[in-house]
Amino acid sequence: MTALRARAPWASLACLIAGCSSVDPSTTPPKLPPAPSITVGTGLAGEQILSRGLDDTPRSLDPQLSTDVPGQRLLDDLFEGLTTVDIAGKPAPGVASSWDSSADGKTWVFHLRRDARWSNGAPLTAGDFVYSWRRVVDPKTGAEYAQGMAAIDNALAIALGQKPTDALGVEALDEHTLKVRLSGPTPYLLDLLSQQYAYPVYQPVIARYGDDWVRPEHIVSNGPFVLRENVLSSRITLEKNANYWDAAHVRVQRVIYYIASDRSVQVSRFMAGDVDWTDSFPSNQYPWLKSVLGDQVVNSPYFGTYMLGMNFTRPPFKDNLPLRQALVLAIDREPLARYMRLGIYQPAYTFVPPLEGYQQPRPDWAGLSDAARHALARKLYAQAGYSERHPLRLDLESSRQDPDARHYYEAVAEGWRSVLGADVHVYEREFKVLLQELQLHKLLLFHDAWIGDYPDPYTFMQVYYTGDGNNHGGYSNPQFDRLVDAAGQEPDNVKRYRLFEQAERVLDDDAAFIPLYFYATRHLVKPYVRGWQSNIMDRNLSRYMYLLEHQRR
Amino acid sequence: MSDAHGFWRQALRRLRTQRMAMASGVLLALIMLACLLLPLLSPYDYFTPQFELLSRGPMLAGGHILGTDPLGRDLLVRVMWGCRISLAVGLAASLVSVLIGVAWGATAGYVGGSTDALMMRAVDILYSVPFVPFVIVLMVLFGRDLWLIFLAIGAVSWLDIARIVRGETLSLKQREFIEAARVSGVRGAAMIARHIVPNLIGIVIIYATLAIPTVILFEAFLSFLGLGVQSPLASLGSLVADGTSEMQSHPHLLIVPAVFLALIIYCFNYLGDGLRDALDPRDR
Amino acid sequence: MLRYTVRRLLGAIPTLLVIVTLAFLLLHAAPGGPFDAAKRMLPEIQKSIEAKYHLDEPLWRQYLRYLGDLARGDLGPSFQYRGTSVNEIIAQGLPVDATIGLTAITLALVVGGAVGVNAALRRGSRWDYGSMAFAVAGISTPVFVVAPLMILIFAVTLHWLPAGDWVGGSPSHLVLPAIALALPYVAYIARLMRGSTIEVLNSPFIRTARAKGLPLRLIVWRHALRPTLTPLVSFLGPAIAGLLTGSIVVESVFGLPGIGRHFITAALNRDYTLVIGITVLYGALIILFNLLADLCYAWIDPRVRLR
Repeated sequence: MTALRARAPWASLACLIAGCSSVDPSTTPPKLPPAPSITVGTGLAGEQILSRGLDDTPRSLDPQLSTDVPGQRLLDDLFEGLTTVDIAGKPAPGVASSWDSSADGKTWVFHLRRDARWSNGAPLTAGDFVYSWRRVVDPKTGAEYAQGMAAIDNALAIALGQKPTDALGVEALDEHTLKVRLSGPTPYLLDLLSQQYAYPVYQPVIARYGDDWVRPEHIVSNGPFVLRENVLSSRITLEKNANYWDAAHVRVQRVIYYIASDRSVQVSRFMAGDVDWTDSFPSNQYPWLKSVLGDQVVNSPYFGTYMLGMNFTRPPFKDNLPLRQALVLAIDREPLARYMRLGIYQPAYTFVPPLEGYQQPRPDWAGLSDAARHALARKLYAQAGYSERHPLRLDLESSRQDPDARHYYEAVAEGWRSVLGADVHVYEREFKVLLQELQLHKLLLFHDAWIGDYPDPYTFMQVYYTGDGNNHGGYSNPQFDRLVDAAGQEPDNVKRYRLFEQAERVLDDDAAFIPLYFYATRHLVKPYVRGWQSNIMDRNLSRYMYLLEHQRR
Repeated sequence: MSDAHGFWRQALRRLRTQRMAMASGVLLALIMLACLLLPLLSPYDYFTPQFELLSRGPMLAGGHILGTDPLGRDLLVRVMWGCRISLAVGLAASLVSVLIGVAWGATAGYVGGSTDALMMRAVDILYSVPFVPFVIVLMVLFGRDLWLIFLAIGAVSWLDIARIVRGETLSLKQREFIEAARVSGVRGAAMIARHIVPNLIGIVIIYATLAIPTVILFEAFLSFLGLGVQSPLASLGSLVADGTSEMQSHPHLLIVPAVFLALIIYCFNYLGDGLRDALDPRDR
Repeated sequence: MLRYTVRRLLGAIPTLLVIVTLAFLLLHAAPGGPFDAAKRMLPEIQKSIEAKYHLDEPLWRQYLRYLGDLARGDLGPSFQYRGTSVNEIIAQGLPVDATIGLTAITLALVVGGAVGVNAALRRGSRWDYGSMAFAVAGISTPVFVVAPLMILIFAVTLHWLPAGDWVGGSPSHLVLPAIALALPYVAYIARLMRGSTIEVLNSPFIRTARAKGLPLRLIVWRHALRPTLTPLVSFLGPAIAGLLTGSIVVESVFGLPGIGRHFITAALNRDYTLVIGITVLYGALIILFNLLADLCYAWIDPRVRLR
C-alpha cells in the first residue's frame, strides 16, 4: 500500500552523510581495528535494557495517524490489535484470543481476552475497537491510511464522506465479542488487523487532551510497553507495561530507541557499543561490515520491490510496446545485483517479491543468455524506430532523497547506453517535487518502489489498477483489472494466487514497468540479543526479545 | 598615475618577501593548471562506470593513481572535476559579490547624505537576515542549478565588501586628486567609475581573495547537505560527503577530496593574508 | 543607553517582518505541499487535513493569521510532526544548541585567546608561525570532515567517548560536538587576538609603559588586554548567531536533538510553520547578539558613542 514509504519524505537527512556507493566484494577488506569481541553467556543478563536504533523520528505516535516505518516499530511495542505478529512475523492472537468466520468469509466474530487492559488498568472492551475503527475511517480524523480499512464493509464510503461513521461494518455484541462485516472475502484479514491503524485507542484521553494525547504524560496504551519519554529526533524510551495481559513473558524492562536518520551514524553507534540492534545500515558498507562484524550483520528478504516506471500517457512510451520491452530486456540484472547491490538484494524479473505459496511467473526472457537477450532488446529498439543516428534521449528522474539509488541508476543508464546506444541521464529531483510531477503524470521515466503493507500479492496488484492514485505511469489494461477484481471476490487462497499470477503475466506482456530488484532487511545485531527472527515484513517486536549475559572485552 | 605604479611595484616586492603567500600562490596555480589539463589528458572520464574496479585504493596498474570511486570511475579525474567546480563557484560567486559590494559601497560612500544612510540601513537589515536558512530553502525548493548556486552565494556575501568599500570611499573623497577631478567637471557615475573604483582595487583584491575560500566552504557545506551540483558531476563538497559514508571501509574516498578542499582553502587564506600585508601596509 | 537599546529593539520589528514575509512567500511558492505523500490520500481526508491547518484559505488570510499568531508568540503547529507545536520543538531543541554553542564559544575564547596573545608576544618565533599555520588549517578544514573523523577515532576505535546522542547534556556526550564546533572559532579568535595584540603592543601608551620598565606580562594583563577585545567583540556578535546555523552539521553528525537538524527536514517536507519559525528565531538571535555586541563595544571602549 505504501510506495517509497520506508525512507521516503524523510530521507534527505539520511543523505547528509550516507553516501551512495558500493564496494566490490572481491576487494580485500581494509585493515581496521576489529570491533571489540564479546563474550556471551547462557543466562539472562541482569539488566534487561534494550537499545534499538531507529531510522527516523516517527511523524506521529497516534496509531491512526502514523504512516511511516519508524512509527510502526514504536506502535508495535506500545499497542496491540485484535491480532499481533509472532516472532516470525506471522499473525497471532493479540487482544482477541480466538475468532470464527462465516463460510463466505465475509463475517468474522472475534472473542476478546477477559484480561486485556489499558495501561491505566481500565478494562479493554469491544466498544474500544468500534470507537477506534470509526475514528480511523472518519474523514474528520484526517487519517492518511484510512484506505487501509477498505476491507471492512462501508469503510471506503465513510472515508469518502458518503456515509456516516456508524455505518461501518463493526459491532460490539457484548464487552468481549466483536462482530466484523467485510465487503468481500479477505484472506489476509488477520494480517490487516495487526496493522497500526487497526489498533485500539483510548477514547477518554483523546476526548480530554485532543492532539496532545500521545504525549508521555497523557498517553494510555494497551501493548507490552508504555511511553516514558519522547525527545524529538533523539530518543524515545519505553518501559514495560505491568498491566499488559502477557506481561509475565515480557523480559525486557526498558527499550530505548535511538533515532539516527543517518544510517552510518547508526553503524558508528553500534560499533561504539551504544546500540544493540540497528534498524538498518548503508548497503554500500556491507562487505566491510561483514568482514568486521561477521554474524552480527543480518540481512534477509523484505516484502518490497524496486523498479522504474514509464509514462503510458505520453510519447515515447505511449503505444510503444517494443521500446518499453527493449528497456526492460537490456538491463543485466544479475551483475547489477552482484556489483551494485553486493548480493544483498535479489534481482527482480516480476513484481511481487518472493512469498510463501506464491509462484512468481518468471518471464521467458529471463532465461535467455545475455547475448540473446541483448540481441532481442536491440531488435525491439530498432523496431521502435531508434538507431545509432537517432538514439533515445531521456532523463531518468529519481529522488535526491534516496542516496542508495543514484549510483545504481547511473549503472542502469550505462547499460542502456552500451547495449542499445540509448542516451539516458539520471536527474535527481527533490522528493516533494518528484511526487507532484508524478501525480500530474508529467515524468516519462522515473524511480518507483513498492513495499507491501501485509504479506499478500493484493497490496502490490492495486498499484497498476486503472486510475489508482499510486499508478503514476497511468497504466491501464481492462484484462489486468478484471483479474484483480476476480481475485478480490475469490475466497480460496490458492485460486486467488493463480489469478494474481495471471495478472502479473499481463503486466509483463505489456512491459508495464521495469523490474530491478527486491528489497532486503538489513540489521546489525549484538550476539547477546535473542528472541527475534528475520521476517519479510521486517516486524520485530521488543516483546519477544531478551538479552543474555555478556561481557565486552 | 606614476605614484600608483610605484605602489604596485612596491606591493609586489613586499609580496615576494612573504614566502608562505608566494608558495600558496604557486600551489594554487599548479592546482588550477592540473584541474584544467588532467581531465583532458587522462584516458578516463568522470562518468563512465567500470564494474571490475569498484572502490579500489590507489594503484599504478591502469593508471588510477588515486584509486577509483564506488562506480569504478577514476578518482583523480573526478577530484579534478570537483576542483574545477569548486574553483568556478568560488571565483564566480566572489565576482558577483565584489561587483555588487563595490557598486553599492562606492555609491553610498561617494553620494553620502541621506542616500548613504538609506543604503547602509539596507545593509544593516540584510545583516540581520539569517542567510544560511534562506539559501538552504532556496536550494531545496528550486533545484541544484550551478548558476543558482553562484547567484545565491554571491548575493549573500557582498555585505562585508560594501561596508569596507564605503569606508574607503569616504576617506578617498577627502583626497586632493578627487577634489581636482571635481573641479575639472567630472561628476556622478563617471567619477565613481574612473577615479574612486580604481583606487579601491587594492582593498577589493584583498577581500575578494579572502571571500573565495569562504564561498568555496559554503558551497561544500551545501553539497554536503545534498544540495549541490547534479550528478554525475561532483564538487569537492559532494565528493567529501560521499567519502564520509565510506570512511571506515575506504578511507581514500574521503581523504583525497578532503585534502584538495582543505589545500585550496588554505592557499587562498594564506594568499589573502599575504596580499593584505603587501597592499595594505597600515595593518602591519 | 536604555533609550538606544529600546530604539534598536523597535527598529528590529520591520526587519523581522521582512524575514517572515520573505520566508512565507518563498515556501508557499515552492512546488509540493506539506501533505503530498507517496501514497495518495482520499479527497475527503485531504480536505479535512487542509481545513484543520487552514491550508484551504487564500494565501493573504493565511499570512495574516500567521502574523496574528506570531504577535502572540505562537509559531503554530508543526505539519510534519502531527500533534506537536513549533514552540514545543524549539523549546526542546534550543537548550541543546545553547549548551553546545556556549561550551564551544567558551572553549574558543580561552584556547584561541591564549594561542593568539602568545603568538603576538613571541612574534616571529617558531611558536608564532606554528600556531598561525595551525589556525589557518583550522579555518580551512570543514566541520563535516573533522566531526566524522573524531567519531571514527575517539568513539569507534578508542571507545573513549560516546559516538553521539545527548542524554540531557551529560559532559561525556558534550565533549566531541563542542570541540568540533569550536575548532574554526578557535582558529579565527587566535588570528584576531594575535593581530589586535600586536597593534596594541605597538601603540604609544604601551611603549610608554614598557619604557617605564614594567614587566611585559603585567602590561599585557593590566593595559593591553582591554583594547585588544574590541575587534573580538565585534566578531563575537555575528559569530554566536552563526554558531546556531553552523551547528547544523554537528547536530546531524552526532545525532543531537537541536534545532538546525529539524530545519532541513522541515524544508524538505514543506513544514511551513517550522521553517518560518526557525528562520524568525535565527533572525531575532542575530539582531539580539549584534545589539549586545554594540553595547559591549561601548562599554569596553568609552570613545565609542552610541547613536
